Amino acid sequence: MTIFIIQILNSFFYAAVLFLIAAGLSLIYGVMRIVNLAHGTLYALGAYVSAWVVGSALGHAVSGTLGLAGLLLLLPIGAVVVAAVGAVIEPTLLRPLYRRPEEYHLLVTFGLLMIMEDVIKFLFGPTPLTAGLIMDRMGSLPIGLLIYPTYNLVVIATGFFAAIGLWWFIYRTRFGVILRATSQDRRMASALGINVGRVYIQAFAIGCFMAGLGGAIVVPAQAAVLGIGIEVLVLAFVVVVVGGLGSLEGALVGALIVSFVRTAGIQFFPEIELAVLYLIATAVLLVRPTGLFGRA
Amino acid sequence: MDQKVDRRSFLNQLGVTVGAAAASAVPVIGPAEAQTASAPKGKIPDTPLKMGHMTFLTGPAAVLGEPSLKGHILAAEEINAKGGILGKRKIETITADEAAGTDANVKELRRMKLSEKIDMFTGVISSGNTPALGPVAEELGLLTIFVDGCTDFLWDKAVPNPKFTFRITNIQSADGVTCAVAAAQTWPTAKKIAHIHPDYSYGRNAFDHFTLAYKKLVPGAEVVSEGWPKLGTTDFTAHITKAMSANPDIIMSSVWGGDYVAMYKQALRYGMFNKAKFASTIAFGVAPHAIGKDHPEGVIAGVHSNYYFTYPAGNRWPANKTFVEKYHKRWNEYPNFQSDGAYHTLHMYRTAVEKANKLTGGWPDEEAIISQLEGMYFETAAGYLYIRPDNHQGYKDAVTGFSKNVDAYPFQILDPNRMITIPIRNITAPPGWPKPGSGHNDPTSTFNWIKETWPQVA
Repeated sequence: MTIFIIQILNSFFYAAVLFLIAAGLSLIYGVMRIVNLAHGTLYALGAYVSAWVVGSALGHAVSGTLGLAGLLLLLPIGAVVVAAVGAVIEPTLLRPLYRRPEEYHLLVTFGLLMIMEDVIKFLFGPTPLTAGLIMDRMGSLPIGLLIYPTYNLVVIATGFFAAIGLWWFIYRTRFGVILRATSQDRRMASALGINVGRVYIQAFAIGCFMAGLGGAIVVPAQAAVLGIGIEVLVLAFVVVVVGGLGSLEGALVGALIVSFVRTAGIQFFPEIELAVLYLIATAVLLVRPTGLFGRA
Repeated sequence: MDQKVDRRSFLNQLGVTVGAAAASAVPVIGPAEAQTASAPKGKIPDTPLKMGHMTFLTGPAAVLGEPSLKGHILAAEEINAKGGILGKRKIETITADEAAGTDANVKELRRMKLSEKIDMFTGVISSGNTPALGPVAEELGLLTIFVDGCTDFLWDKAVPNPKFTFRITNIQSADGVTCAVAAAQTWPTAKKIAHIHPDYSYGRNAFDHFTLAYKKLVPGAEVVSEGWPKLGTTDFTAHITKAMSANPDIIMSSVWGGDYVAMYKQALRYGMFNKAKFASTIAFGVAPHAIGKDHPEGVIAGVHSNYYFTYPAGNRWPANKTFVEKYHKRWNEYPNFQSDGAYHTLHMYRTAVEKANKLTGGWPDEEAIISQLEGMYFETAAGYLYIRPDNHQGYKDAVTGFSKNVDAYPFQILDPNRMITIPIRNITAPPGWPKPGSGHNDPTSTFNWIKETWPQVA
């Protein structure tokens, strides 16, 4: 029973991180119709920046004066940096390509992925960075005879509130209306006086922020390792294929399905852990080619 | 071999030694670099010697792979500072990122030979890559010394009769067996084993050989849990929980590189190291400074059964002392087993060329260099290295050890006073032992040899 509870928490933890990444990927596709292959690497950048900040002199100073709360406040810096990087990438690298065929988008974002992987290694070196101080400060909760890291609950909560916040933002605010209008018909939105260029920058930066936030909150629990972005990009694609590219609900449901199926695979069928996710994606594609919540 | 023996006497037969005093009567020889010959014979061209070095420069394996390139560069700089090999031919290195994937790596090897005209190829970390690259190197007639990629499959199946290809680090089966011997000796009552391995050839090989050898040494041992995370995964929470759920005595793992760093951080917070003993084939294979002081002490933290820079300590094995000092001076960090492998690959090659030159004069052709490499007995930082002529595989005594925090280093190290050393011939199949597919279908010839010849400990 204890194991059962912990594995469910593990699944929610993983789903929270996957949702943050997939939601950003989906948002960017929904608005700009760009499949951003560099998205996973933006997640990695968020992880590295946050780990670096927490481990730096600033981190030590803050933990000295403000303690744990200060460290937690430092974490989102990674997400903010990634959003800023996104705000530079969109107008410079992506905007000239919107009228070109999709292959150009894939080539440019893939090139960006390669460059950013090298930039990360150049800036932070090949040795993994960690922000384990936060985990240690928060300790663990006893569950039955086992323990569960308290910080992981923070990650789950962050994923939950990010989902609600993003939903509210897109469906309940004026900016959300503009965003949805632009995504449905760019020319009409532009004719109605919406500054489409600015909306694009904002949407792209928000998508990047989500990816960066995913990296920032995962890094205390794991480590910033070279190549984490690649691994996660593949899983984020499985999530959006299952949920439907461009759909926020799809990203949420997809993340939960992928995460729970993966955990069940690990617990009960370790030999086919790798295959089981792709089997699900295949099944969804056969039944609903646009994904569970996708638009045709 | 049905007669029953007790564990202690069998471990004695295996020649397992623990502690600082493992290196027995050692003749005094200078370090590798000093094994220099007299003036070269004949006319030596002064064209540069082009070498290709392929290793992981990106991705989670870079923390294990980059030290390989650093070892290579250090040796090349030493050789070039003396005017090059035979005093004439300086080494120029072209690098390639192994993370490009197996197909791309094969293409890159061809490109290096055909358009860059390299004279020698070296490096390579992954066991997924050497079986693809080996046959191509043979086909191209390119002298190749793999630093790692140590799968038994390379010589068992992919290149059963190598001519141009060699490999310097210990063969992979030794890794699982070394870990099993160390665990059986340290925790002889542990019977329930949970496994977490990366799901590809290295993880499978470690699982197979550990399990076989451990069952021979500990009667009644059983596998109570298996986890096969994808290579490159950083989320191990579900694997850790699953392994703990089986109430194992030992959790055994071959997760490596950046993946391992992520795994042990998570395992700490789940209390995994308090619930069971932990044994790994390769935990400390990464660049030493990647392992923090928060890593649990007293676990079996393997080094791919090859080398750890603290052992042998002091000046007991001067080749190690010199190597570590030079490496630290050049890179401001400490070497791992890949650094040792890549560094001594070049010096071994240089030595072979010098010896061949004495016989043939001028710049020796490949055949002459190969005949010197075959059967070579060479001093490295890790101890004596023997290149077996039949399969071109390098053999040295296998080591593993226990993790410990000491004040002298800002990271956790392997305790040099508690190293476990096993003579390699006692844990690996001898020359001529049937390969898989000829008389048996076991995973490796060593697997079959252990199955057939080791007694079952009572």
